[in-house]
Amino acid sequence: MSGRVVTATRLGFREQARRPLLLILLVGLPLFFITRSIASTVPQPRVVPLPGGGDVLSNMQDVHGATMAAITIAFLAGLCSLFIMQSAREADRRLIVSGYSPAQTIVPRLLEIAAATGVVLVVSLAVTAISFQPQRWVPFIAANMLVGLTFGSIGALAGAYLGRIGGTYFMLFLPMIDLGIAQTPMFGDGAPDGWAQFLPGYGAGRILVDAAFAPSFNAGPELLLASAWALAALAAVTLALGRAIGLARG
Amino acid sequence: MTLVFIREQLRAPLTLALLVALPFLFVVLAADVLGEFADALGGSLVADGATALGAGWSAAFIAGTLGFFQIASAREADRRLARAGIGPFRVAAARIAAAVGLAVLAAAAAYLAMAIEIDVVHPLHAAAAILGYSLIYLGLGALVGCLVRGELEGSLAVAFVFLLDVFSGPGMTEGDGSPLSISRSAADVLLAAAIGAGSPTADWLELAAWVLGALAVAGAGFAFSARSRA
Repeated sequence: MSGRVVTATRLGFREQARRPLLLILLVGLPLFFITRSIASTVPQPRVVPLPGGGDVLSNMQDVHGATMAAITIAFLAGLCSLFIMQSAREADRRLIVSGYSPAQTIVPRLLEIAAATGVVLVVSLAVTAISFQPQRWVPFIAANMLVGLTFGSIGALAGAYLGRIGGTYFMLFLPMIDLGIAQTPMFGDGAPDGWAQFLPGYGAGRILVDAAFAPSFNAGPELLLASAWALAALAAVTLALGRAIGLARG
Repeated sequence: MTLVFIREQLRAPLTLALLVALPFLFVVLAADVLGEFADALGGSLVADGATALGAGWSAAFIAGTLGFFQIASAREADRRLARAGIGPFRVAAARIAAAVGLAVLAAAAAYLAMAIEIDVVHPLHAAAAILGYSLIYLGLGALVGCLVRGELEGSLAVAFVFLLDVFSGPGMTEGDGSPLSISRSAADVLLAAAIGAGSPTADWLELAAWVLGALAVAGAGFAFSARSRA
């Protein structure tokens, strides 16, 4: 990594470190939201349809426990990325004017987005582990990581194209509608409706259910789909960042 | 000046569309599942009550965020406007009029979606309650804006209170809801309207007190932002 990238990355992280309230909220919100959601759910029996066919008998409390981390991660990673993108649009043009290349400004911002997603991911999974144990942790963590990457990238895109107010609305409602309503096995017959398959959370949501309740991995196609969403969203963010700061060259 | 402040908040091309479309979409999509959700949490909501609460919540979150960002915008610009001779109270009045106008718009979108989904027995009561949700959260957003400078932190703080409220409110928990629920008065009136019962005078007075208190907080916040520190 070049010296300029290290400097820009350090400055970006220092900017975030000056905001102690942000860290408190990033830890406190998952702690409260996930713990409270699981604790307040009645453990009534629930049949959960699994990817690849078949179903398993669980209970509402465990189903809620399996899905809450993903909703929290999507919301928080999306919102953090939105404001990182806003900050990049304002500050990074100055770096370009002072001689930085687009790559030297984009990489630090992507690292910031990854770090914010990482913090939210670790806190949310640690809090989840207190109240819920999935069948298999590795794919459960991978599914939540894909949720974080995808929704973090979508949040950054919202920051670039929807503005701070519109982007904030979008990043609250999208995770709630996608992961909280369309993908969750808590409602209806427990399987996502047809239209839900076109939403960004579908693939990761199904891997999550598989990892939480199935004894073996049966979500290969869903893993490919979720990875494609995450990569496409990440590529779009890279392009959007380049476009935002590239304007300063004109 | 009110129109200028409204335009300032809607500067990004899609903000107005999202302000109207998101509450509408949420109410329509959540209509079928919120009753099941309340049941899972040990609450006792009939489907119509759950749909109505969804409308109140979506209007509330939109208005809370709006109140916060209005204060964030006011912090720098309004002091200069006040110094330029307009005066802090006129600037604050214009700000609050702009915020209330946008909050009414979000509440109207949520109400319309609810009216499409369910037959509301007392439509005026329901409209008043959803507007109450909106205005209470407008005050909350303004209060957060006065206490928290960072936009990310402020948005998260509004979301934090919103989630606390949702999980503590009537219908979503056993019993009548916790005192932590700041929108409990609006929820009581809204749930009664949705299931066809009238609300007692005490509930209306409580809702009016919350709304007036929230507007007073928002007004004080805007006036404080416009006040000269020299």
